[in-house]
Amino acid sequence: MDFKDLPDDELWLQMQDDLYDGMKAEVAEETHEALRRGYTPTEVLGKGLVAGMDIVGVDFRDGVLFVPEVLMAANAMKAGMEILRPLLTQTGAPRIGTMVIGTVKGDIHDIGKNLVSMMMEGAGFEVVNLGVNNDADKFLNAIKEHDADIIGMSALLTTTMPYMKVVIQALKDEGLRDKLFVMVGGAPVSAGFAEEIEADAYGRDAATAVDIAKKYMAWKNEKKTA
Amino acid sequence: MATPPVITDRRARREAREARKRSRGFAFVDAVRPLLNTLPPTEVLSAEGVQKVHAASMRLLKDTGVLIVDYPQAAETFRQNGASVEDHPDGKLVKLDEDTLFHFVKHAPSTFTQLARNPAKNLPIGGRNTIFAPVYGPPFVIDLDRGRRQATIEDFQNFAKLAYMSEHMHHNGGTLVEPNDIDVKERHLDMLLAHLTLSDKAFMGSVTHKENARDTVRMAEIVFGADAIRQHPATLSLINASSPLRFDDRMFGALEVYARANQAVLVTPFLIAGAMSPVAMAATLAQQNAEALFGICYAQMLNAGTPCIYGSFLANIDLKSGAPCFGTPEGNLALYAGAQMARRYGLPYRSGGNFTASRIPDAQAGYESASTFMATVQAGVNFVLHAAGWLEGGLIAGYEKYMLDLEMCGMMAKYVKGIGLDDEDFAWDAYAEVGPGSHFLGSQHTLRHYETAFYQHAVFSMDNYEKWEAEGSEDAYKRANAAWKQMLRDYQPPAMDAGIREALDEFVAKRRAEIRAGKLVRED
Repeated sequence: MDFKDLPDDELWLQMQDDLYDGMKAEVAEETHEALRRGYTPTEVLGKGLVAGMDIVGVDFRDGVLFVPEVLMAANAMKAGMEILRPLLTQTGAPRIGTMVIGTVKGDIHDIGKNLVSMMMEGAGFEVVNLGVNNDADKFLNAIKEHDADIIGMSALLTTTMPYMKVVIQALKDEGLRDKLFVMVGGAPVSAGFAEEIEADAYGRDAATAVDIAKKYMAWKNEKKTA
Repeated sequence: MATPPVITDRRARREAREARKRSRGFAFVDAVRPLLNTLPPTEVLSAEGVQKVHAASMRLLKDTGVLIVDYPQAAETFRQNGASVEDHPDGKLVKLDEDTLFHFVKHAPSTFTQLARNPAKNLPIGGRNTIFAPVYGPPFVIDLDRGRRQATIEDFQNFAKLAYMSEHMHHNGGTLVEPNDIDVKERHLDMLLAHLTLSDKAFMGSVTHKENARDTVRMAEIVFGADAIRQHPATLSLINASSPLRFDDRMFGALEVYARANQAVLVTPFLIAGAMSPVAMAATLAQQNAEALFGICYAQMLNAGTPCIYGSFLANIDLKSGAPCFGTPEGNLALYAGAQMARRYGLPYRSGGNFTASRIPDAQAGYESASTFMATVQAGVNFVLHAAGWLEGGLIAGYEKYMLDLEMCGMMAKYVKGIGLDDEDFAWDAYAEVGPGSHFLGSQHTLRHYETAFYQHAVFSMDNYEKWEAEGSEDAYKRANAAWKQMLRDYQPPAMDAGIREALDEFVAKRRAEIRAGKLVRED
């Protein structure tokens, strides 16, 4: 039996399951198959990939899935997205969003930030991962170069987290602050700290960060079309 | 493409996923996997120290003696076997020397198997095995919804079900709680029936009366067969010394019945140092050794080869209030030392548990329990009574405490496996794949092992503050409350042969009628 023999509704379910199980090659094949059947890139994204990642998100939140499994699922999603992204741009579909993410200056702890980055990619976002120890200029340059919607900053150390405020000030100085959604995270960071430094949101974990980013993009796209 | 795309059975995968969701928390596993401790036991006495305690206990047995109350036939058995017996205002005082003692004690097996109704749940006792059994004896229960109250048969049945359902509980225990709502003369029948029908794990016999022990043996014969239980014991019963240096008719009467039927006994001095023994730990250990070996000696005199466990229940008194203390430095030292003494004689050892003096599963309960339980496992204890549910020095069985203790049992099951040292355990391919920096969460090595690499918590929560707060700020106590209720909801009784069930019910009905008619002694 081949994917080609599956009725459409079964194909979506198969795609969601393969994505859930992190089956990268299968998800890519199914993405091609759905496009061959005449579905638009937006439909393939919504009915197949996003629907699959939604199940992953719920099970991760509920403690059913292990982190390595979520990473596998996110990789499978990414494989599908690589096929869809150029087509989405061509068809003028609403932007899923671009995020510039990095650990701030003085801090080389990036595992949490990388998890957020992979989960964001898994949700279809384009992620520009700046790595560790980034000063304000590096963030600014990347934002301009990639026309980012969101900036994500992380810190593990209480001594480095104040630098987030320096970056936000630089965004203000460059006149970029209002166009950007500023998200912060990391073990010592809290919602209170985010408010204090005038960030827009605090992501308590990778899954929540993705939820917040998706909500922001939905709001932004709606505002644009309204 | 690394692997060709295939269509796998979607329905099977969905079902597997659903099953996995349901199995979060404590999974029901229809098997028993006793701990096989690979770690060297912690020892606090030198070889010379062990010898000193041994010598002191021999001196106690020879010079001070052990008092037998209201059971002259036991004293007579000792006398016939070479002990000296003196009259004492409260009974008979038995004194015996080292040679006589070990002439009998040497017959006690160093390992034995206790039968379970489900043969897959038979238990190896002794050696490097550790068996967990639930709390024994509390007259009260407590739960978050109803507070503390007198325990009833319903509570007993609930704890029997929880023991059956718990993967980390290897043994169904004995007097899980005291069923106060049933007449004391017949409640042993209801307790035994609950163990035998609501679970298929090994259980403990009744010791509150010689006749209760006889009923226990008879019920075991009905279920297991009279010949089978003579080969391997189907019951294991708790014989307590009424310390200091004293046994009574109740306990020695029950011991006699069990020993003659080749059923296992757990001979445990009951020592709250400061009251039942001196405030000195060396003396307490010597006294414990004397009492335990004395009881085991009696079992061997009655039937050479009776399976025996060297028991220890050793706490110290709070000298300001008179209440027992648990999780103390002294108690833990004695726990390790007691294990050393039992090993010296090649006897299976019982001690420890998730002990606390606290009344509710609060921080004190958590610290004290963790402290004693870790010592219990590190001492190499073979039979751990009170592994779950213990509160207020054993006066209260806590439903929530039971679930929290199960988490500790689960963690210890992983702990005793020690550290693997194979090539795969050094994860060379992970280093080749990941290198310095970056992370291992997606490496092939991780993907091969993530499901079993680390102990997965069932009641403890690893959520960060914000997620925890968003989901209702539930502390461990509250989560444990949900967990035991779920476990009872999920409970399904194990299958039982209809003929055996009928014979059991018939026996219980007959005995109940006899007891109610005032005929306590069974005629057959």
